[in-house]
Formats: sequence, C-alpha cells, structure tokens
Amino acid sequence: MTQAAATEHHEPVENTSTGLNSRKLMMWAFLASDVMFFGVFIATYLVYRGKSLVGPYPSEILDIPITSVSTFVLLMSSLAMVLGLHYVKAGEKNKATLWILVVVVLGAIFMGFQFYEFRTFAHEGLTPRTNIFGTTFFILTGIHGAHVTIGVIWMAFMAYSSHFGQLRQDNALDLEIAGLYWHFVDIVWIVIFTVIYLISASDGPPLGVGPTIIHG
Amino acid sequence: MHRVLKLSFPLRPALLLLVPLAIALLAACTPDNNQSTFGTAGPIAEDQADLFKFIFWIAAVVFVLVEGAIIYIAIRYRRRSNDDKLPHQTHGNTRLEIAWTILPVLILVVIAVPTLTDIWAQQNTVPQDLGEVLNVEAIGHQWWFEFRYPDQEVVTSNELHIPVNRPVAFKLESQDVIHSFWVPKIAGKVDMVPLNDNFIWMIGDEVGEYYGQCAEFCGIAHAHMRFRVIVHEEADFQAWLKGMHTAADTPVAGSTEASGKNLFAANCSSCHTNDSTTPGSYAREISSQQARWNGWISDIKTSGIVSAPNLTHFGTRNTIGGGLKDLTRGSLENWITDPSSIKIGTRMQKHAAVYDTADGKAKLTPAEVSDIATYLLSLKPGTAPAGAVIETDGADGANIFATNCTSCHSTGDNKVVGPGLAGIGDRAGSQVAGMSADDYIEQSIREPAAFLVDGYPAVMPEWSQLGDDSIDALVDYLKTLN
Amino acid sequence: MTTKSLRMPQLFPRPKSSTGIWSWIGTVDHKRIGTLYGITSFIWFIVGGLEALMIRGQLASAENDLIGPETYNQLFTMHGTTMVFLVIMPLSAAFFNWLIPLQIGARDVAFPRLNALSFWVFLFGSLLINFSWITGNAPNGGWFGYAPLSGATFNPGLGMTYWVVGLNVLGLASIAAGLNFIVTILNMRAPGMSMFKIPIFTWMTLITSVLIVLAMPVLAVAGIQLMTDRVYGTHFFNSLGGGDPVMWQHIFWLFGHPEVYILILPAMGIVSEVLPTFARKPLFGYPFVVFAGAAIAFMGWFVWSHHMFTVGLGPAANTAFSISTMLIAVPTGVKIFNWLGTLWGGNIRLNTPMLFSISFIAMFTIGGLSGVIHASPPTDAQQQDTYFVVAHFHYVLVGGALLGIFSGIYYWWPKFTGYFLNEKLGIANWALMMIGFNLQFAPMHWLGMDGMPRRIYTYGENMGWETSNMAASIGGAILGLGILVFIINVFYSKMNKVMAGNDPWDGRTLEWSTSSPPPVHDFDEIPQVKYRDDFWFQKYPETIAEYHHDEHDQAVPSGAQLDEVEEALPVVSGGSYGHGDGHSAIHLPDMSYYPFILALGIAGLGAGFLSNNVVIAVGAVILVWGLIGWAMEPVNDPK
Repeated sequence: MTQAAATEHHEPVENTSTGLNSRKLMMWAFLASDVMFFGVFIATYLVYRGKSLVGPYPSEILDIPITSVSTFVLLMSSLAMVLGLHYVKAGEKNKATLWILVVVVLGAIFMGFQFYEFRTFAHEGLTPRTNIFGTTFFILTGIHGAHVTIGVIWMAFMAYSSHFGQLRQDNALDLEIAGLYWHFVDIVWIVIFTVIYLISASDGPPLGVGPTIIHG
Repeated sequence: MHRVLKLSFPLRPALLLLVPLAIALLAACTPDNNQSTFGTAGPIAEDQADLFKFIFWIAAVVFVLVEGAIIYIAIRYRRRSNDDKLPHQTHGNTRLEIAWTILPVLILVVIAVPTLTDIWAQQNTVPQDLGEVLNVEAIGHQWWFEFRYPDQEVVTSNELHIPVNRPVAFKLESQDVIHSFWVPKIAGKVDMVPLNDNFIWMIGDEVGEYYGQCAEFCGIAHAHMRFRVIVHEEADFQAWLKGMHTAADTPVAGSTEASGKNLFAANCSSCHTNDSTTPGSYAREISSQQARWNGWISDIKTSGIVSAPNLTHFGTRNTIGGGLKDLTRGSLENWITDPSSIKIGTRMQKHAAVYDTADGKAKLTPAEVSDIATYLLSLKPGTAPAGAVIETDGADGANIFATNCTSCHSTGDNKVVGPGLAGIGDRAGSQVAGMSADDYIEQSIREPAAFLVDGYPAVMPEWSQLGDDSIDALVDYLKTLN
Repeated sequence: MTTKSLRMPQLFPRPKSSTGIWSWIGTVDHKRIGTLYGITSFIWFIVGGLEALMIRGQLASAENDLIGPETYNQLFTMHGTTMVFLVIMPLSAAFFNWLIPLQIGARDVAFPRLNALSFWVFLFGSLLINFSWITGNAPNGGWFGYAPLSGATFNPGLGMTYWVVGLNVLGLASIAAGLNFIVTILNMRAPGMSMFKIPIFTWMTLITSVLIVLAMPVLAVAGIQLMTDRVYGTHFFNSLGGGDPVMWQHIFWLFGHPEVYILILPAMGIVSEVLPTFARKPLFGYPFVVFAGAAIAFMGWFVWSHHMFTVGLGPAANTAFSISTMLIAVPTGVKIFNWLGTLWGGNIRLNTPMLFSISFIAMFTIGGLSGVIHASPPTDAQQQDTYFVVAHFHYVLVGGALLGIFSGIYYWWPKFTGYFLNEKLGIANWALMMIGFNLQFAPMHWLGMDGMPRRIYTYGENMGWETSNMAASIGGAILGLGILVFIINVFYSKMNKVMAGNDPWDGRTLEWSTSSPPPVHDFDEIPQVKYRDDFWFQKYPETIAEYHHDEHDQAVPSGAQLDEVEEALPVVSGGSYGHGDGHSAIHLPDMSYYPFILALGIAGLGAGFLSNNVVIAVGAVILVWGLIGWAMEPVNDPK
C-alpha cells in the first residue's frame, strides 16, 4: 500500500491508514475548500470587470509598480518560509527562528503596503461603495489580506515557539502545516495580482454608460 | 443464534396506501382551468404540453416498471414464517450493470432530441414565415405589468391586447426586482430581470381572454401580480389600436365626470397618466414613468410618487388591480377607497398623499370616490374627430399643466416630487443674471438639468416635445401662479 | 505524534465529569456529539414542520386570510432554510458522528475537539437565524434569497441579514465537520480495511463530506457578498450600482445543486445499509453504487443552471445544462437498479427500517422522474416556479432524504440506545407518513400543471385549485400526525424497553460487533478486517466463497496477502493522538470547554453584523480566547 512510498520519503511513518499525517491531510483538504472560496471571489471580479457605472476606474487608480514591490515581498516570504522549515528540520534553532521571523516581517510589510493602498484609494475617492470595481477590488483583496493577517499571527506564534525551543525537529510538522497555508496564500496572491493588476489594469469606463443614480 | 424480530408487515392494509394516489388522480387533468398548461391556446404552449406528455409517458412506463418491481419483489421475496434460510450471497453482475447504465442513456437520448429541437425553435428568434411580427415591451413593476407597443406608440397596463395568429415578440424588462412573465395557455414563462433584458415570442391562436401571472417571487404582493391577455381578431386589434389613439371625450362642465376629473387630477395624476392618446404622449409617458421610478428610488420611504399603471381608456378594461377583480363600479370604488382591501402591499397607499390617514383609507367622501369612479369608467375612445391632438393655436397653459405637470408639481408651495410652483414668475427673473423670467422658465422646461434646485433629484424629463406653442402657453400660465 | 509543550494557565479546570450538563458542554465523544446533533436538529424539524403546517393551513382554501403575506413570506423562507440547513444536513451529521468511527473500527473521529466545535457552531448559528422570529424580523426573501429582492433596497430591515449571517455561521460548522470526516474516513480505518472494504454508508459520507468542503465555501462567498451589500452598501448584486442579479443566481446554485446531493447522498448511504441487512444478502454491485455516488457528486457541479432555465441565459446554455442534467439521471438510475438487485432473491424482512427504505426507493424514483421531466427546458418553462417543482423537490427531500433518515433512525436506534423502537408504533408511523406525504405532494404536480405559481400566499376562487390544495393540506396534517406517532414511539419505547442486544438485525458492518450502546471507547479491541462486510463473514464464514467465487475482478485475499496487509497497517487507536495500541491502555481525548467557547465567539461575531461593533469586539475577544486556549491545551493532559 502506501508503506513503500512512505519509507522512500525518509519521513516518519504515520500511524494512519494512508500513512499521511491527519493534520496535514486536513490542511490539504482545507486548502481545497479555500480554493473554491477564492475561486468564486476571483470569478466575481472577472465577471464584473469593466461594469463600473462611475469612476474611478482601474486605469485611473491602480499603482502597478508599488504593488509589484509588495508582491515581490510576499514571494520572498515564501522563500524564507522554506528556509525556516529547513533549519527547524536540521535542528538549527537560531537560524530557524531568524527565518521564521523574516516571514513574519515580510508578511507584515505586505500588509502595510495593502493598508497604504487602501488608504490612498479612499483618498482618491474609491471605496467599496463607489462602484462595482471598488466593491469587487476591496472585498477580494481584503479577504486575501485577512488570510495574510491570520498567517502572520500564526507565524509569529511559530517564531515564539522556535525561540523558546518548543519547535524542534520532532514536531517540525507544526511548521510544515503552517507553511502549507502560507505558500497557498502566497500563490493565491499571484493569481489575484495577475487578474487585478495585470489583466485589468488598463480597464477604463465601459462603452455607452451614462451617469446613473447610485445609492449607498 | 441471530435473533430476528418476528413482526412482519401486514400486506392487505398496505393497499390503503393507494387511496391518496387515487384521490390525486381524481383531482387531475383539468384543461379548462384558467391557468392550466394543457388547454392551450397557442402553438408554443401546445408544443410544450406535447413535449411534457411525451416525456411523461416515458416516465410513466419507467415508473410502473420500477414501482411494480418494488412491489413484486417485496411480496415475492418476503420472509415467510420463521424461514431464516440465507439467500444466495451475490455480489453483483457486471453485465447487468452495463445494461442498466446504457438503457437510461438511450431513453434520455430519445427525450433529448425533441427537447433540443424545441429549445431552438422557441428560445431563438421568431421564425420569419409566421407573418408580421408585433413588438411589445413588457415591463414588470412591483406589482403590476406595463405593456408598451413601440411601433404603434401605445402604452397600457395589466391587460395586454394582441392579434390572433400573429407572432408577438416581447422585450422583457424590470427595474426593481425579478419578475416572471407567464401566460400558461399561450407560452411558458421567461423572467424579467433587472439589467438583463429578455426575449420571448408567442402566438395566440384562439380569440379570447387568458390569464397571466408573475411566477417569480417578487415581494409582498407577489400573489396578486396578475394580468390578462386579450387575443383579438386582427380587425378588432386594429380597432383597439385606433381607439388607443383617440382621446376620450372631454367631460361636460359641471357633470359628475368633470368633478371626477378634477379630483383625479388633484389626487391621482402624480402617478397615473390617463390620457396617452395624443402624438408624443407615448414618449412622455415613458419619461414620466422613468421620473416616477427615479423619484421613488431616491426616497423610498417618503416619496410622494411611485411607478404606477397607465390608465388610458380605463373604462374599456375588464378587470382592476391587474386581473384581481372584474371591473365594476363597486370594485372600483372599493379600490379607490382602500386599495389594500383588494391587493395587500400595493405601493399606492403608502406613497399617495390622499391615503395619508390613520386607517390608510382615502381622504375622500363617498361622493367624491363615486365621482372619480364615474370619471374613470367614462374613459373610452371618444366620439370627437381624431387628429386635433395638440392645439397649436391658443394652447391652454392650464390644461397642459394639468395633463403633464401635476404628477410632480403643485401650483401651491408644497413639494410633491418637484418644487411647488407658486410665485415662480416672480422668482424666475432673479435666478440667473441676464436671463428673463420667461427664458428661465422655458429653459427649465426644455432642459431641467440646467437649473436643478438644491435638494431635488435630477429626475425631470426634458419637455421640448410639447412643441413651441405649448411651451409658450405653459410659461404664460406658470407666471400667473401665486 | 507531537505534543505541544506550551501551556497556558487555565481559567477553570478542565471538565472531567461524565454526567450532568457540563459533561455535555465539554464532550468530545463522537457518540455524544451525534446525539446532540440528533436532538437539536429534530427540534428544528418540529419547528420547520409547524411552519409547513401553517403554510398548508393558509393555502387550504381560496382567498384565505388566516395568515397575511408578510408572515407567509417569512414562513416559507424559514421553512425551506430550516429544513435544508437545520434539519436534513445536521440529521445526516448526527449519523456521520455516531456511525463513522463505529463503521470503520475507530475509537473516535480524527479531530474530536473540532467535531465538538462543529456542533456548537451549528447550534449557535441555528439559534441566531431563528432569533429573528423573536425580533419580528424573520427572513422573507425565499430560501434561495434572489437578489435584488434580498438586497437592502427592496428588503430593508434585518430579516435577510439574519438569514445571510446565520447561513455563514452554519457554513463554517459544515466545513469543519466535512474536513473532519474526510480525514477520519481516509486515515482512521481499522487495519485491513481498504477503501473498497468500507461500508457503503461510510463511502457516501466521504463523498458528501467532499461536496460539503467544496460547496459550502461557494455559499460563504455568496453570503459575504450579500452581507456586505446589505450592511456596508457594496454593489455585488445591486442592479442600481451595476451589480448583476443573475450573478447571485449563478453563485447560489453553483452551491445549491451540490447541496441537493449533500442532502440526499447520506440517505442513499443509509438505505444501502438497510436493504442488504433486511434482505439478508450483500449490496448488489457495491463498486457500482460507490462509483455512481461519486459520479453524481462530480456531475452535480455541472448542472446548476437547470435552476435558471427561465432566466434567459439563451438557447445554447439551456441546451448544455439540459443535457448535463439528463445525464445525472444515469448514475441515479444505476443506484436504484442496484437496490432492486439487492432485494431480488433476498429473504426480505419487512421491519420498520426496511419499510422506510423500500419506500425511499419508491418515492425517490417519483422525484427523479419528475426531475427528468423538467430537465427539458421547454417543459420547464411551464413548470419552473410552480407547484410542480415544489412537488418534485419534496419527493426528493422528504420522500428521499427524510424517509432514508427515518429508516436509519429505526435501524440504528437499538445500537444508539440498547433497546428497540416499538415496531407496531413504527409501522403506524410509517403508514401515516406515507399516506400523508403522498396526499400532500402528489396533488401538487397537478397544481403546478394547472398553473399555480409557488410562493403565493393566496389564490382566486376561479382558478380550480381548491380541491388539490385542500387534499394537500389534509395530507400535511396526516404527515404531521405520523411524526407525532414517532415522538410518542420514542417515549413509549424508552418507558417500555425491549432490549436489543449487540446485533438485533443480524447486521453486516462493524458497528454491530460492539455492545449496544457502545462503550465510550467504541471497541474493546480494534477489529482486524479481511473482507467487505467483515462482521457478516465472521458470523457466516460458509458464505465467503459464495460471495467471492464469481467476483473475477477482485481476487479473494489469501492468507499470505492478508498478513502483509496487517503488517503494512499498524493498528490504529482512537485518533492521531493515539499510540497504535489496540489491546491495552485505551487513550481517549480529554474533554474540553474550548470548542464551546470558540463557537460562542464565532456566533458573537456573527451577531455583531446584526447589531453593532461592540458586539463584534466582544465576539472577537471570546473567539481569540477560545483559539488561544484551544491551541495551548494539550489533547490529553499528562497522566
């Protein structure tokens, strides 16, 4: 059955029918669930592209260079995550703590960029109530931001555990599971970045739309 | 060793279970019912009923076989007395599995062929060889139907008139919530969805009056959102169209009708247009209806105006409230006095000032109600020669105002939808430097957006269509208001 | 397994008591949680049933004014919402909880505290949504909440906000439970029990759980979007701001159709257990029933627009969804034929569970056939939004799901409690339900074809709908009477116990091998599994060859192969926290208050969207407290 595969991996054989750790399996199942969650939000954004009745439109407001920087920051955090896990498994406590802290810091920087972006947009007159672009943009990126926030708190908890010697080689799985989540959130951002900042960056007002009363 | 309960099932009483089925069958198949999908009066409904029957009989055969098998097996293989013998422990049979996978596929192919044929025949465009197409725009409102004939410039509500044996192509619209347009005997339904104009076409092939009803839950008065379709002989339909372009006779001064007309103008005309017979009145009604919607949506709680059915030639209608009751003097007076006694939830009572009373009943005496009813019942194509529609010479400003403007403007100080116009002549001259009162008022009529008064929504339509003489007369009249 | 070394000072001692209310609040035992699910959802079943009776009372005659349209709209909205989310789903969850560990030979589910959390979140979510009745603001936009009628413009007030917040909270509970059962079934099977040896009910639970995990997030998105529309004025479905009402329908039904299979697959699983037991022969075509279930679950994702044939998607879309909808009838048919194959040649005992199961096949077939009829868009144009559709889905959900669940209740009651439900009352229960159900819903087919739209609170005297409506209302009363007999039966049987023993029906699956009711640790010894229906073949070893001899696609495991299997799969005890020890030192998870506290926090957060930011803050604080406490609390205190 799965035993052969498990031994080749040099991982401890789990005491389960599949040989996979139950918590890890659940994280995978949860991520599948989260794919549907983000998928429908992203689909909503795409369906509503170019349907705003009033501005500001994406072409007028999106700042692609700045968001590219924050995207790079988030990507680098995944690299730090990989290194952190590597050092936990290798038993190098201080290096591990350091890299996990880097994940936390990079995640926090990304959140800072997002906060800055939201504030700037609000100043320039784009809120979730302004138009359908504002609605779909803020809720989609906001939901992703909430995921990052949870990840940052989780990682801070991991850094704390590592520093005080409670995250060790034998329970490196705790970090691995957190890492699955972190990488997922990162990948989702790449999709969101592509969809919002690359594909629809030049979207202006739709053709033939006149002013209409909007309430809200 | 394995104890098995000894109760077994009494077979004969189980036959009682067939009783409800029998009752259900007895109550079945009533093609004469007003909204039966079987007693069809149009080829589309007929095709749909035929397709239903086709699938139904296939389903019935499957039903009899499966249910028969269940009953047969339950009786044939039931445990008798204490026989605990183990049956043969089969695990399955692959050939059987393949057979009963393929068999349903074949049956479904048989069902799919006419299904797809019908989809493309019914939901695509109107076939070209069926005769001249009549275009109708049907609009669902909470909770009534508006019908516009754009090519004939006719607008009416709740009773749709169509000619027999001619295809009618509908553009289905809604501004508020989702409704569904359904005349069971003539065609299946298509929804009226905001922002998504829909299409349906149908043919009525039997002269008569047919029931229609909104099928999509649309709020408190959903159950009462009904309408009628009247299928005419072609000649009768043309006569109806002509009638819709013939103004009703003007009531004789001092008559009951005249009193009713004044009461109607004062209390009802903010929302109900009742004379869309003249050229240009079709376009006006469309912009007025838009203005009513804009007024209501910008102030849902206290708006003094709301989308409402056009009542042109109301006296020729068969029903009131959208097919809820036969049109009689009694039902009409009840409706005017207390609309919710007939149609709970109607917006009329909530928004019209005349119903702003403790019990929601109209602020009108029985005699006044009766006068309005008399007036409405008198609204029929008049005997006056048609054609003299817009009086170009010596247009009567007061009359033009009463017909076109009282929906939104009072002649006093009070706000209806737009500002009250008392003293407008004095104010107008000082609004814009270098602009005379005449020019200011005229500009306001032609391009209302130019001088929007603070605190009022930009809902007033442009009125250039009235024509220069009428606008001049209207301006002169307005300057007399104090 | 790892043990967390971080400790948090506990505010109050960990629950230890095995009796009293705190033992229930702190429980992590899958059987107790199953009982909690069962009792709670049965109470909601009575509430939803009373709502239905009031609806039927109003419709009994033309121009009736028993109930006004405001209340009527609330009643049908809450009836649908209650029956789907607070009754059928959690009743199925009650069976999952009770049976899955017993059927796969485990001591508990994979995540016992998460399991408790699921229940408490469900409970608080259901209370939240029904609290709207007390405030007089019950939801009134229909159970599928079509925008823009469900939006703030056309539906001001808190009603639909309760609905949407309540559904989001309930969705969270469902996802957590779904994840738990996926992992439990994949990872906690007894040694030797490969995937094609697990009981069919377990298979259907696995498929249902996958559907829940993938479909509920879709509802969550719809819910979040509608909620921000209502509470914060966004424009997702607000047609005045450019939002598209049809988008709501797409998202809702993308969830909604898999949801239908979430409701019916567990009942199919129950029936697939009951039929073999009472026919005394194995399930016919086990792998085909499994694949049919999986096929239904997969194809269920590609049929959602058949709820929207009249929305005006155009002939191309209607063609595609018509074909996919018809195709899904094929695996459904395969299941029905296999059930008939199971009965064929059996030695059929017509006890109450069997009566319900056979009725399930009969009634579900009717619902399936009417479903094929309106899979055809031209006929659906006449049937959509009429009583024909109401009849159809009640034949599927009452005639299907509910009869299946009642079958399961009568079948496993002796296992849950140790004593039988009374057989005579059971047959009365069944007969009344069947008569009432058919009298109530069969005439609705005719009503629909006679043009009666659904969701109308009254109708004219001249429509010819009175006889059928009166019959339906009488049927509803009889159906209610049947449920009353069931309640009487529960109390009667409790007072006049007829003890059942471990294996009263001569069962086939592992749950019958342990005592009734099972001990806290389920099995004294973790079973070793060689065959599908292993318990049966232990009892009747002489039938092993008979069952396997013609099974060319699946060789009989030889002794050597079996040893290998046992070696490969170390013995698993009650969870991932266990120590792989089936014989001595049974480790069960300790009780915990944190699931309850965390659920309270989640519900508080939800309630915040209905009231104000202070409540949100309080909810958030409780939630964080629950989370931290949970994370810091070891599954087992050191002994």
